[in-house]
Amino acid sequence: MNRVLVLVVAGALLPRIAVAGDAVDFVAQIKPILSARCYACHSALRQQSGLRLDTAAMLIIGGDSGAAVEPGKSADSLVVQYITGEAGVRMPPEDEGAPLSDAQIAIIKKWIDEGARAPDEPTPPDPRDHWAYQPPVRADVPTVENAAWVRHPVDAFLAADHESRGLAPARAADKAVLLRRVYFDLVGLPPTRDELAAFLADESPDAYEKVVDRLLASPQYGERWARHWMDVWRYSDWSGYKEEIRDSARHIWRWRDWIVESLNADKGYDRMLEEMLAGDEIAPIDPNTLRATGFLVRNWHKFNRNTWLEGTIEHTAKAFLGVTMNCCRCHDHKYDPISQSEYFQFRAIFEPHDVRTDRVPGEADPLKDGLPRVCDMKPEAPTFLLERGNELRPDKSQSLPPGVPKAFGSELKIAPIELPIAAYYPAMQEFAIQEDLAKAALQITNAEAALTKAQADAEAAQKKHADLTSGVANGAEDGPARESAVKTLDAAVVAAELASKQLETARGAHASLTARIAAEKAKFGLSLGADVEKLASAAGKAQRQLTLLQAQEMQIVATQELSRANTALKTEDAVTRDAVTAAEKKVADAATALAAAHAALAVPTGEYQPLGVESPRTSTGRRLALARWITDRKNPLAARVAVNHIWLRHFGSPLVDNTFDFGLRSPQSRNQPLLDWLAIELMDHGWQMKHIHRLLVTSSAYRMKSATSDTLAGNIEIDRDNKFLWRMNPRRMEAEAVRDALFYTAGNLDLTRGGPDLACDLAPKTPRRSLYFRHAYEKQAKFLELFDGASVNECYRRSESVVPQQALALANNDTSRDQSRVVARKLSELASKDSEPDQAFVQLAFEQILGRKPSAAEVGECGTFLLSQAELLQKPDQLTTFAGGAKTSVEASSDPVQRAREDLTLVLFNHNDFVTIR
Amino acid sequence: MPTYRLQTSGCGRIPRRSFLADLGMGFTGLALGAMLHRDGFAHDASTWLPPDGRPHLAPKAKSVIWLFMIGGVSHLESFDPKPMLNRYAGKSIAETPFRNVLDKKYLEENVRTAAPDLRKILSKIYPMQVGYSKRGESGIEVSDWWPHVGGCVDDLAVIRSMWTNDIDHGAQLQFHTGRNKLDGFFPTIGSWVHYGLGTLNENLPQFVVMGNPVADCCGGQESHRANYLGPQHDGVGLVADPTNPLAYGRPPQGVFREEQQAEFDLLERLNRLALAEYPDDPKALARIKSYELAFRMQRAIPEVFEFQQETAATQKLYGLDDEKAPPFAKHCLAARRLVERGVRFVQVYHGGNGNAGGWDAHGNLRGNHAANCAQVDKPIAALIHDLMQRGMLDETLVVWATEFGRSPGTEGLDGRDHHPFGFSVWMAGGGVKRGVVHGATDELGFQAVENRHYVTDIHATVLHQLGLDSRRLEIPGRKRLEMEHGQVIREILA
Repeated sequence: MNRVLVLVVAGALLPRIAVAGDAVDFVAQIKPILSARCYACHSALRQQSGLRLDTAAMLIIGGDSGAAVEPGKSADSLVVQYITGEAGVRMPPEDEGAPLSDAQIAIIKKWIDEGARAPDEPTPPDPRDHWAYQPPVRADVPTVENAAWVRHPVDAFLAADHESRGLAPARAADKAVLLRRVYFDLVGLPPTRDELAAFLADESPDAYEKVVDRLLASPQYGERWARHWMDVWRYSDWSGYKEEIRDSARHIWRWRDWIVESLNADKGYDRMLEEMLAGDEIAPIDPNTLRATGFLVRNWHKFNRNTWLEGTIEHTAKAFLGVTMNCCRCHDHKYDPISQSEYFQFRAIFEPHDVRTDRVPGEADPLKDGLPRVCDMKPEAPTFLLERGNELRPDKSQSLPPGVPKAFGSELKIAPIELPIAAYYPAMQEFAIQEDLAKAALQITNAEAALTKAQADAEAAQKKHADLTSGVANGAEDGPARESAVKTLDAAVVAAELASKQLETARGAHASLTARIAAEKAKFGLSLGADVEKLASAAGKAQRQLTLLQAQEMQIVATQELSRANTALKTEDAVTRDAVTAAEKKVADAATALAAAHAALAVPTGEYQPLGVESPRTSTGRRLALARWITDRKNPLAARVAVNHIWLRHFGSPLVDNTFDFGLRSPQSRNQPLLDWLAIELMDHGWQMKHIHRLLVTSSAYRMKSATSDTLAGNIEIDRDNKFLWRMNPRRMEAEAVRDALFYTAGNLDLTRGGPDLACDLAPKTPRRSLYFRHAYEKQAKFLELFDGASVNECYRRSESVVPQQALALANNDTSRDQSRVVARKLSELASKDSEPDQAFVQLAFEQILGRKPSAAEVGECGTFLLSQAELLQKPDQLTTFAGGAKTSVEASSDPVQRAREDLTLVLFNHNDFVTIR
Repeated sequence: MPTYRLQTSGCGRIPRRSFLADLGMGFTGLALGAMLHRDGFAHDASTWLPPDGRPHLAPKAKSVIWLFMIGGVSHLESFDPKPMLNRYAGKSIAETPFRNVLDKKYLEENVRTAAPDLRKILSKIYPMQVGYSKRGESGIEVSDWWPHVGGCVDDLAVIRSMWTNDIDHGAQLQFHTGRNKLDGFFPTIGSWVHYGLGTLNENLPQFVVMGNPVADCCGGQESHRANYLGPQHDGVGLVADPTNPLAYGRPPQGVFREEQQAEFDLLERLNRLALAEYPDDPKALARIKSYELAFRMQRAIPEVFEFQQETAATQKLYGLDDEKAPPFAKHCLAARRLVERGVRFVQVYHGGNGNAGGWDAHGNLRGNHAANCAQVDKPIAALIHDLMQRGMLDETLVVWATEFGRSPGTEGLDGRDHHPFGFSVWMAGGGVKRGVVHGATDELGFQAVENRHYVTDIHATVLHQLGLDSRRLEIPGRKRLEMEHGQVIREILA
């Protein structure tokens, strides 16, 4: 068996044969004791009191209190004094379990007395020394031979890498290729034919930079990059069963809009992060900022608060810190210096927070619209460590204070935040009060109109009845007409009576609301000099008067119902009998309610219903402290993680492979000086991302060809996988870019920005940008899913698969057919002016759809196709059709020549170059 | 500027660009490795030849059905009975006569993580949670949670001595690539089969995947991808829904077949012209192939899922007469129909739950495994019966596997932890022995002690039965480790 190679594993085989005689073997006999009982606090991962016990040498070196072991003198050795308790403190401490056994203590003493001998062992490295846990330092920009290639420091770092490996950078890409590349990268849409022509014609030295600036200033930039960050920040619309929300929240699209707007405004990444984690603490009454907390709202989970917080913790750490904290829910992290209790301290940051939906102007019904946001609802909520992560086993002996893993440096600086009234009592916001008063006033107006009409009806009925009655008196026949008029009159009188009471109720409702508002304003100190008690009594009275009016109204309704039921009663019909019984019960209930209302009104009270729900007046400030800790310049991870994400999306491969794990399992960055330089650059420029985009896309590196047809063979030998970026990586466009480009190329993309999420089944026919369609568990547009759309649960990096289903989606999708027919019609009009319309059509179609001119060979192939396809389509009765299939919105042309062009257009939409960023 | 030349045996030197552009539809069988090689990417171009779709040795099997249970099935409650667990229940391993199972040698061999020794060995012995019965003529013991599979035990070759070296669920990926997740992503067994063998049916993907896949935590879709072999060798996901097995499976109304055929033909020619500009782009090649396959698939795939073509007896066999039959039952029947139509490798997942996997019974092992077994037992047995009654079992190798077993020690109150040190899988058909047990774990089911097999021994056996030698599939410049090749388990070959 050739397993020798296989079995090379971490942890070299150590001599473990006991020393002859009775001498104690450190490795076999002492180390296991230390490992089981002491390493949790005194080893590479954690070094409490500066003490490590993971090798004999480190025992002798000792910690803050000096040597732990005096070889040959167990009685003088600190470690013995501690494990026996002679030192006054016993180790391991009580909460870490039982003391060492006498036998264990004896053997440790013996080993020391024998001279504390042990084989030489390498010191296990301190996980805290891991590269990613050291703050980035701006590296000196290297000097390179290929200085002509270097436009700015990004290139210099890459060139140094190339030169040390014997790689030569690829040549610059063609202008057309570069233009399409930078368009997709910055705005997620291709250049139009006119834009392509203008760029090709612009020979000014800064022609490209002008394009970059224009694209970065375009609102479509925010949409393109919002989708990227929505991947990282785990955007999800609500999901659930039918109308029941189980995850995330309705109206969370407001957070998506905040992302788009913030990116377009070039808000600093640090500020964005702070708003997402603590927007409610930074700007408690600014609805625009509150939207950002959708980042936290998204984790809401109906069935289990622990699951909800686990998601919050895991993805806050992965997205912003590149740390997999989720591992230490059940145990200390196996690789990174994070303990289980630090995990729960991190959880304590989020423990108080909860989700609520605030009212928005114009809509009082939270089902129809609202602002989902977070706030600290339970500031005092304790955080218990869950043993083995099991929620059934909380360790209630202590509530853990909020904190961050110590290995990443500095501590949280938490300061509670006093909230303004509109934040903790949103129903008191003036717009809400005014809207409610206006609604109450409108109800009065409506009731008045209803009463006027009812009275007019009653008068008309009265008149008709009087006419008929006088007619009978004058000898006319007393027949069905008069009988009917009597009924109409009765009904009208009853209706007028009810309408009159309803008006009273509407007025009472307005009065009650007005009084409650006045009382609440006084109570919260918003009305200077108001008599709080008097207003409260007035509100109590007004509310009870309203209750009385409502009871009276109910009584009228019930009495009228009973009267109708009695009229309709047929003793042999059970249904009518039941109706009478039910109506009688209502009358009785109404009488009870009325009596209760009278009784309540008789007792003066200052109690009344508040205008809405009140939440705590203070926010703990924990989340803001976390946000500021993450964005502190001393934090080693935040800026590196951010620039790595940006780099990945411009160059197709990241500088640190695992974008959500910079921990010990992650190999060092391929080009750490570059990563760190960019991280510092980001922080030095106010964390503004447009600066980094501009830097990256204007580099020589970004402008390289992706093709290898004319590169040095040596490059491929040395670095086939392009790890060191000696050429551009061609990339399959993201799902959204593919779909958007289909519509955009046909001139049909609706560039309306923002607004509620669109149902995903509308995606094939609705030409809005893809990021606006619902994106949630089991609610994703199929087309987007097939092209590796973001996984809802987490997506720190898109995959780029190539599967036949994508071919089918692009070829068979009715959207592709529709758009190809539209494009073909437009281009045919343009081509018709040409003497060679077919050739002109091919030319235009390539430019329009692929952003480049066709080669002669391509023109030839397409020309042949147009002729043969038109000929084929001449005789449709000889052709076979597919069964079923979707229905297109745009009919195929009845002209075979035009239909052939439509087909050619469809082919170009399926071209590899259409879905590829070269 | 270097010039690339195509070396061919009898045709002299052809400039690469024209070669690529001239390739027609006949290209379909040619693998990416061959393209890269001929384009000068391969290292020892003088001797190496890409696979030509023909097996290296006489094949015993044509196809593989690979049933993978995600989360870690307990070997102790399925195919490896250990009475000593019951006898010493509640005692620590050290208190039993079998304390030597904790021999560090195997523990070290078996655990490869960035921080060894940190995952504790659970020592308090947990008794078996289900009874075992001797089944069939072979009398092989199978747990009572597997009544139907137990009924087929005379067709199985049970391997009780598997080991892997990831103690966490990255072992799911590892079972498919043969490499520890720490090493990254590599081609999977299905993609090697796809790469190495010619197709038996040009209208269907050769490598099909069904069921919820491995989650992102544990390797994700990379568990059925092809990595450096190129994405055209990735597994193709299908849904066992007869009305819509494949999204966008047909064009919109009014499009003629001949019209679409001509469109696809033009697309192929245009993509090849563009390829001449980007000869090194594996994704461009893959896209060309994906369109060829897509065109044919749109006809062939819906038919695979027309289960009404099956007799009532067959549907009943799989339990499909019950409307509540689990999706896995449909996947098993579809697997047979796919294999019948020449698909080379059908990978069926069970237990994919977006997380560690449905079988990951850290607690309530009894409830977890009883419920999971109830979903898969009958369909798996049905698959074996069905293949046999059609005379297909001889040429179809069925593999049942999971990423690792579960610990003899108790986790919490009523669970078992991950256990890479010894676990069970089985194979059936495809030229393996019938009704045999191979290898063994120790008395506690802790270590594989007899005829130990790493996961790639299963790969090697699969490839061998298909007539492939993994060493001859290797691509120059992509040296594989010995551990990736594995050893054929000859003892179980008929």
